Parts: sequence; structure tokens; C-alpha cells
Amino acid sequence: MNRHNFFGHLALAIAAVMLAAFMGQMRRMGDGPVRGTFVKREILEQVEPHAGPEIEAADAEDAEVIVRFRAGISTDEIERLTARLNDRLEDRFEFINNEAVIADEDDLSAEAVAAEYSALPEVLYAEPNYEINLSPVEDEEFLEAEGGDDGDEDDPPVIKKGRRPNDQMFAEQWSLTNEGQRGGKAQADISAALAWEKTTGSEKIVVAVLDTGVDYTHRDLFNNIWTRPNGMAPYTDEHLGSVDDRHGYDAADNDGDPMDDNGHGTHCAGIIGAEGDNSEGIAGVNWKVEIMPLKFLSRGGSGTTKDAIEAINYAMDRKKAGVNIRIISASWGSTARSRALGDAIKRASEEGILFIAAAGNSRTNNDRIPHFPSSYDLPNVVAVAALNRRDELASFSNYGLKSVHIGAPGAEILSTWPGDHYEEHSGTSMATPVVSGVAALVLSANPKMSMAELRAHLLDSVDPLPALKGKVSTGGRINAARAVRAE
Amino acid sequence: MALTKEDAVRQAKSDLAARLGVAEDAIKEDSVKDEDFPDAALGAPIEDEMSAQMITPGWRIRLRADGKKYEYRASRNGLRLYNYEGENYRV
Repeated sequence: MNRHNFFGHLALAIAAVMLAAFMGQMRRMGDGPVRGTFVKREILEQVEPHAGPEIEAADAEDAEVIVRFRAGISTDEIERLTARLNDRLEDRFEFINNEAVIADEDDLSAEAVAAEYSALPEVLYAEPNYEINLSPVEDEEFLEAEGGDDGDEDDPPVIKKGRRPNDQMFAEQWSLTNEGQRGGKAQADISAALAWEKTTGSEKIVVAVLDTGVDYTHRDLFNNIWTRPNGMAPYTDEHLGSVDDRHGYDAADNDGDPMDDNGHGTHCAGIIGAEGDNSEGIAGVNWKVEIMPLKFLSRGGSGTTKDAIEAINYAMDRKKAGVNIRIISASWGSTARSRALGDAIKRASEEGILFIAAAGNSRTNNDRIPHFPSSYDLPNVVAVAALNRRDELASFSNYGLKSVHIGAPGAEILSTWPGDHYEEHSGTSMATPVVSGVAALVLSANPKMSMAELRAHLLDSVDPLPALKGKVSTGGRINAARAVRAE
Repeated sequence: MALTKEDAVRQAKSDLAARLGVAEDAIKEDSVKDEDFPDAALGAPIEDEMSAQMITPGWRIRLRADGKKYEYRASRNGLRLYNYEGENYRV
């Protein structure tokens, strides 16, 4: 940094700190009921104990801000600006609408950095990327009150009761039964084994997997794939005419063959309903279920809102034709809002279809930067954040106290992959079908439960977690056993 | 067919040369690094694009031409140009 830049930077910093002090005071006055401490993401594990409930400004080290630049500002220019201010352009954030996450590297608070960027002519606005964290004292009280694990890694693993399937790789499925394998935390799971004492699913419940398609020939899936019943007329599309929708629909290629050419949809399908107790591969949350493959994402894993809407319309058509579609699982999204997509999901709500959606993987707060479709404020939408095997919010997961509802295992998740393979993947994509699977499991035991009842029931059945308090509206992880009333 | 790192770098150079209207040998390689991207769009979605929310391994390819820097992102499933004059592009 040259001398001129240094003094410019210093003057800006002083002004920004004064502004930040004022803003911080205003925030304390305005956000009284919120409990927790705002700290930056990277230092969550190092934060000092804090006894009080009030909100504090971000720690000065590596504070982050979300900056929206004016149209036409290149990465090159952004990098030059950030370098000039001795900051770092965070790369993981999805670059859209000219927004970027920038990390400070010279000990300023997030408010001060935001003020710095707001003053630049290249910037439309800048705001701190807050993270809410609990003090350790509060965490302990919270756990004690809820009867949770204290997380002491020296504790012996707790072997839970319940029904175990004979699937060969079941021991690797920490999300279903976590006994501390591979550095995990015992009981940081969805209590599937206990839930299976009550129900292992039902082929009468249909879950539409709206994704890259599904390998419906996979040996661990084919018995649980929806097939159009004899006597039900094929789907008729306004433009395509009659479509032979034997196992679902492909809105990307406009045909009746939703075979997966990517892998992502097959992975999600296996989490929901890989056949259980068949001495093969893995067990799904449901050992028995009907998975309806709906393809709208291409081989590259992306697709258009138009094709997503078309696939949702197909699901609604089949529902009206008598197929018991109760859930659409949507492990995809972007920060682009589409009114038409929102309207399609609303119509699905009117048909009694729960829409379970991924919160996103940009590590950002969806209350500030919405991620769709999970951020649509609709009565059938459940937005899902991802947890790791230690019951911590996964490092990549989005969150949002208002707009993200529930957490579920989503890191290092083993599931089916095209060609009779199995792979481990991470993402809120993987957390979403866990919740979809539990929803189907609940319906298998309570088939007459309405969509609204089901949604409320799922959200009421969580295990409260310190890592999710202040991060998702329920403050907890999905618990299958509690959801099916098996405990 | 799955894209390799070498394919991705080659295609990125070729694409940038075409966009800038210069010879490919005017495109210099700054760095090619392994990277985990947040989604199937590699954190570089184009307009109206929805993508699978799965952590996607790939490569960040940084090129330089005429003193300016450019970034491509690739995975086995495709190549993207990141924030070129304010827009992302699928190559």
C-alpha cells in the first residue's frame, strides 16, 4: 500500500468506525428480543464466552461484507478494489446480480468494512455478512433443558436401540445411525433405527424427485420407483401430445424418459428411498416408497425455471389423475427469483403437495440474500440447511432464522449413483431428501395427515441443536423417530 | 464425455481468444487450481438458471490477456466464464 493509499484508507476507516459505533448502538436498541452474538464465520469456534444475550458487532478479524457492485464491474476491477483496501474476494459465494462476499484482512469490523465499500462509486450497497452464534454458556443450558448430548468427545458412543437393516453399507450411513464413526458424534443422526420400529415406509406414498432424473434401473432403487399403473392414461402434454411416462417425466428433453445422466438425482433418490433390508448397498430413510423421477436439470446439473415449472405441472397432472404424490423434493436453486416458479409451487400447495427445498451452499444468510425456491414464503415450502456428522452447521450451508426452517444431515452422505454405484457427496442437496424421506415416513404411518399438518408436525419434531439456534426457525435437526411418534 | 483439466484449460484459452479477437498464443495461463464449487453451476449461474446444490469439485482457471485477468471455472460436466463484464457464461 503506498503512502497516499494508506492515509486515504485510514481516514475512511476512522469515519467507518464512528459510523459502525452508531449503527451498533442502533442495532442493540432495535433487536432487543434476539438472543445471541454476531460473529464472523471463520472464527466461530474461537469465539470468547459471552454471558449476555445482546447482539454484538462482528469480531474485527476477517469480518465479511456482502457487496453489490454496479453493472459492468469486472472481477478484475473488484479484485483491484479489494486489494487496494487490503481485503479478499471470497470465492465460494455465487456471483449473481453483481454481488460478492469480501473478507477484511486488516482488523476492521464488518460495519466499518461495509461503510468503506458503500462509499465507493463502483458499489451500489454493502452490508455486513453477519453470523449469529451462541455463547458456550447458553449452549450448555440449552442442551441441558432439551436433554441433548453434551458433545463430549470422550464419552463412549451411545448404541441406540432400534431396527437395523442388513444393507451392506449401512454402517457408513451416519445420518441414519451415528455411532461416532469417522470422527462423528454419537447420536448426531435422525434416529432412523428407532423410527423403523414403527414404520419402514409404504409404497402407497409417492415422492417426486425433481432433479437430474433418477437411474430407475439401479439395483437398490428399481423396486421403489414409481411406475404408471395399468389403466392410467399416459400423460398428455399440450405441445408434445401423448407422452409414455412409464417412470416419470423429462422436462429438459421433453419426453417420458427421466433417466439420470448426471448422478445428482439418483443420489437424492437413494437418500429418500433406497430399498432397505435387501442385503444390498444402503438403506433409504424409507425402505419402501414410490419415487417418481422428474428430470429438468441437464447432464451438467442445471436447468431453467421454465422446465422446473413444466415438471411441477406434470406432477400436479398425475396427482389429479390419482397418483398419491404428497411430496416434491427439490435439491436445487439459485438467487434468482421467478414469480412464475413461485406460482407453480403455490399451485402444488393447493393440491396438497409439500415442497421441500435446499437452502443453498453459499454460506450466506437467506434472510438477507434469498435463495429460491427455498425462500418462497408459501405454506408448503420447507427450507433445509445441512449439518455435518458432528451436529454442526456444515461449513458450506446457507441458513436463515426466518427463511430456513430445519437442519438435516448433508455432509459426506453415502447414496446411490448411476450404474449400480454408490458415492459420497455433500450439500444442502443431500440434506433436503433426508427431510423429504422423513415426511414420507410420517405419511406411511399417518396417510390421512394433511399437508399443513405434515409440515407443522415435521417442524415440531426436531432435536434442538445449539448449532442451529438462531440459524433456522425451528433451531433443530429433523428427528424421524419423534416425527413418527416412535419415542 | 467427462471434461478433463487439460481439456478445460484448452477450451478456456480458445474461448477467451475468440471473445477478445486475439490469437490463442496471446492468452497466458496465470494459474489452474483444484477447487470445490458450491453447486453444479460452479458458483457462476447464468440468468434464469437453477442448479443442483451439491458441492462440485473442479478447477479454477485464471488467464491473462493484454494485462487483464479472466477467470474460468470447470468441472467434469462443463466450463464457465466467471464475471466477464458483469455476466457469467456457459462455454
